[in-house]
Amino acid sequence: MRGDKKTRLLAKQLFKLSLVNGEVSAAQVAGVLGYLEKVQPRQPLTLLKLYHCAIAAELAKSRALVEHAGPMADSALQLIARAMTQKYRRPVTASAQRNDALLAGLRVRVGSDVYESSVAGQLAALSAAL
Amino acid sequence: MSTVIEQIEQQIAKLSNKAVKKNTGNIRAIADGVAKLDGLSDVMYNEMVQFPGGAIGIALNLEEDEVGCVVLGDVSQLKQGDEVHTTGKLLSVPVGKGLLGRVVDALGRPVDGKGPIASTESYPVEKIAPGIIVRKSVSQPLFTGIMAIDSMIPIGRGQRELIIGDRGTGKTTICLDTIINQARINKVGLASGAKDFRPVYSIYVAVGQKQSNIVRTLSALEAADALQFTIIVAAPAADNPANQYLAPFSGAAIGEWFMENGLDALIVYDDLSKHAVAYRQISLILKRPSGREAYPGDVFYLHSRLLERAARLDGKGSLTALPVIETQAGDVSAYIPTNVISITDGQIFLETDLFNQGIRPAVSVGLSVSRVGSSAQIKVTKQVGGKLKGELAQFRELAAFAQFGSDLDAKTKATLERGARIVELFKQPQLNPVAIEVQAAVLWALQKNYFDTIEVKHVVGAANSLKDFLTSRQDALLATVRTKAALSPEIEAGLKTACDQWKATYTAK
Repeated sequence: MRGDKKTRLLAKQLFKLSLVNGEVSAAQVAGVLGYLEKVQPRQPLTLLKLYHCAIAAELAKSRALVEHAGPMADSALQLIARAMTQKYRRPVTASAQRNDALLAGLRVRVGSDVYESSVAGQLAALSAAL
Repeated sequence: MSTVIEQIEQQIAKLSNKAVKKNTGNIRAIADGVAKLDGLSDVMYNEMVQFPGGAIGIALNLEEDEVGCVVLGDVSQLKQGDEVHTTGKLLSVPVGKGLLGRVVDALGRPVDGKGPIASTESYPVEKIAPGIIVRKSVSQPLFTGIMAIDSMIPIGRGQRELIIGDRGTGKTTICLDTIINQARINKVGLASGAKDFRPVYSIYVAVGQKQSNIVRTLSALEAADALQFTIIVAAPAADNPANQYLAPFSGAAIGEWFMENGLDALIVYDDLSKHAVAYRQISLILKRPSGREAYPGDVFYLHSRLLERAARLDGKGSLTALPVIETQAGDVSAYIPTNVISITDGQIFLETDLFNQGIRPAVSVGLSVSRVGSSAQIKVTKQVGGKLKGELAQFRELAAFAQFGSDLDAKTKATLERGARIVELFKQPQLNPVAIEVQAAVLWALQKNYFDTIEVKHVVGAANSLKDFLTSRQDALLATVRTKAALSPEIEAGLKTACDQWKATYTAK
């Protein structure tokens, strides 16, 4: 997965080419994929995996995944999206996902940041503290 | 029972309803105690990372797309894809007097089965060494209790003195003698109630040693009743390399607490060769570029930043370091030995040949040096032992030449005779340090030719007999030597009377 230095460098360059004004552009990504199909670079599978990882990590920064145990109103989702957009200074869209293991409350994930306010999370913290 | 409920309620109250932000990542790969993680976009260098199951790690490699992390603890339960999160804390260990008499691991957790450690404070494991302004020059002695060292290669509080030699030459023994001697001095000093007395607390860091050796060290310290002033930080050979890499830094953090709180401490790193090997192992797994002998480029910085933390602080205490290096076939010009020699303020070189000849401690006077300790030597030792190093050097040179010729002039013969007696006098059994006042008295007797009429083979017995005589019958005189710390006409008269009495009763056995 890690690939050699050249592959990593190429994946990085392709990732940069996929951005327009700091955001991932679907058209640019399609263009990059078309180019790769045509050119057939060294270690194509590793290169594609590295490229995929970079794009996925970048997209995750613009997505707030809201896990919830109870009912979730659309207005609350919009509120979270607005708050995250303000915090990260980039457009962030929110999507909801039901997770009964949380017992109650929310867990919001944006990129590698996790905002924990679920009962399950608090119980885990309490257990660690004891 | 209500107290237990209250405690739980307090813990619950502490947990506010506010959302807690965590920076998370996932295990991409894990092998040999090193995990490669993705995510963790906010992780700091040397930050503690929490793994599932309670294991923690330290972020050592921050790369563009992954984080290299050494795992401290059981890695068998960890698997690819497990979520990890940052803690926002740098690795720290408990510090304070509560650790005295205890054996702890590299993270400061007790491993001696004596229950939890009574400690409320913790210090970061990695800390920048004290700067120039806060330091003070070395001027207070730290007695090892070994005559050859205290008289010729003296060590001062705040000094870094390397103990170097091949395997089985008595490096650890010198360190243990020093620790035991500190305990003896502490007991006498604390019992005397002297206001200006400063006890020295000892920290023994065992890196990459066999568990049995650590137990032996522990037993030796317990037998000498020195454990009450000592902390043992153990990272045995069976521990993972991350713990072995961290143990000296943990020991330094524990020692720094004493130094920062106006107390004096001694730290023994036994040994830094194995520490360098553990660091090399971690670095190679982290795929850091390797250099000479496959060590990473920053192995010098590894030891310099560790040993620079030993210092004497102005208005505070001191931390004296005795790092140990094991050489291969006496080669002091290898990579790690030369590095540590250049960092420290001197070295005590132990020779296998001397050890095999029965000269123990096998200190090579020619190759050993103390760069700052002589300014910390007390006056009485300077008065009685000032010329010893020169006399021994002369003896070694002449002894080499004397092997070829048969006819020697009287002066050469006298130098050889005297040198042979000095060598014998410095022979000392292990784990039996000699008090500085007894050393001074014995060396005074040597200076005044009391041993000249005794056959060389009987000098060790004679010196022991004199030590016994002095300690059993001349307590007051020894106490005066200890407190005055310099020769005066009255002390010399007392020593003369005592030595005459001893000589009159002594018969060689």
